[in-house]
Amino acid sequence: MSVDEQRLQLLIEESQDQQSDAMRDAKAVIPALRDIANDRRKSALITPDEIRALEASRASTRAKLGMLAGAGAISIAVSSILAKPVAADEALDIQILQTASSLEILAVATYGAALTLPFIADGNAVVKAFAEMTMQQHDEHRQAFQAQTKALGGTVQENPNPKYQPVVDAAMPTLTDPAKVVDLAATLEQVATETYLASLNLFDDKTSLGLMASVMGVESQHLAVLRAVAALLAGGGEALIALPTDVAALPAAAGSVAFPDAFQGTTMASPPEEGAL
Amino acid sequence: MKTPFQSTSNPTTDPSLAALAQGPFSRRRLLAGAGFIGAALVAAACGSDDAATTTAPTTGDTTAATTASTTADTTAPTTADTMAPDTTTADTEGPDTTMAEDDGAATDGKIATLAAGLEVLAVNTYGAALDAAGSGALGTVPPAVAEFVTVAMAHHQEHLDKWNEVLAAAGAPEVTEPNADLDPVVAAEFAKVTDVVGAAKLALMLEQIAAATYQSALPVLTSKDAILLAGSIQIIDFQHAAILNFVLGNYPVPDTFGKLDQAVAA
Repeated sequence: MSVDEQRLQLLIEESQDQQSDAMRDAKAVIPALRDIANDRRKSALITPDEIRALEASRASTRAKLGMLAGAGAISIAVSSILAKPVAADEALDIQILQTASSLEILAVATYGAALTLPFIADGNAVVKAFAEMTMQQHDEHRQAFQAQTKALGGTVQENPNPKYQPVVDAAMPTLTDPAKVVDLAATLEQVATETYLASLNLFDDKTSLGLMASVMGVESQHLAVLRAVAALLAGGGEALIALPTDVAALPAAAGSVAFPDAFQGTTMASPPEEGAL
Repeated sequence: MKTPFQSTSNPTTDPSLAALAQGPFSRRRLLAGAGFIGAALVAAACGSDDAATTTAPTTGDTTAATTASTTADTTAPTTADTMAPDTTTADTEGPDTTMAEDDGAATDGKIATLAAGLEVLAVNTYGAALDAAGSGALGTVPPAVAEFVTVAMAHHQEHLDKWNEVLAAAGAPEVTEPNADLDPVVAAEFAKVTDVVGAAKLALMLEQIAAATYQSALPVLTSKDAILLAGSIQIIDFQHAAILNFVLGNYPVPDTFGKLDQAVAA
């Protein structure tokens, strides 16, 4: 294994110092967020754009439920609930943050579970270190999104994403080698990246938008690294997953496999209500 | 023995996950937004005397003698056309009402111009690096690095084309010159580059500046389509930076939250 353990440790420590700086900056905005939240609670306002967006989303859900359940009593009952006026605590910003929290919780749990697998725990040192660091970064993202939810007066989402949790549960017994773990992690990172991208222009609160943009870039880097690692594993180049790596030995495709398109799409984005309470 | 990268794993092909991930958004919708953004800038040009056109570089800094900028025309990207926007779908989405606000549209215009200037700078610099590599000035260039430079330059050309499409739709001049503030700085740094490591460090700096600039612009942009476009580019620049960090022997995801300290103001 061509891993310079001492250098890797130094890099991780250096990165952790940078994380601490970033977290200090993030925490500094929390009082301002609380002020915004207090203002919002006092006025109990929800903007017209939020109402329109939320109601459009609900109308779509009602239509889908109507198609599924026909004209039966269940459909009427559920549609009736969804047709109730939008309350302040159901603001779209909060829904987006709750869904983001749910994705971060699931990511933390998934990386945590992966680290218990022997071929990760005792496998490639860089892959293991990446899993540990990425899990920690996701947990800090969770904390930030939850703090923001609270600051806006919402209920904090404490549970994993309801759509993807069953998928991860089903996948866990099939994770028999590092490549499968990397594929699963890459999928979760892609869902998070695209969800945050698709959510940016739905925000009314600009501070929330800024936070999500700062997290989005980091998730996209996780995705890029996982794509490169997946390709190296698939091509029998596990030894090249090292820090520092042997750049001269990397295949040409290593220079482009991490970003297949010039623009990030959003086809895998989760809608705001997916992880909302 | 498999050839490295012969079988690239694509997580989106996981049938259960792919079936679940059927979001309402698409890259096509994203790219269709340029016309909408441009329409907003037209409104700004009519209603504001501080419109985007006033900030578009018209001459550039031709005295900077930038090594980077001399090669731009010879290194046209090969993939730019593959992501050409499908504007035929634009009308189905309906106009973005936020773009009717002149002040916001003017701000968006300034940011579009800034972004385009950064993209020109990136295209030129990567082009100059390719030329230097071709002449042997950087020593032996690993295949992965050559591939990275080629693809990253093509990405930035596509980003530039998209921003210029936005500006053109608004009747504003297209940006063809690099950001005037950064161009001489990058040129001076490029003049010091003698090997692949030096070139990679300069590229990393450019990607970090671009990524931070897009991130800082996102809360300021008013058009929903402009936000989506800037965000979709921010992601790619972050990813370029991650791979450059890996190539340089650094941890590829060093920050838990994207930093803004290298952002350029509009």
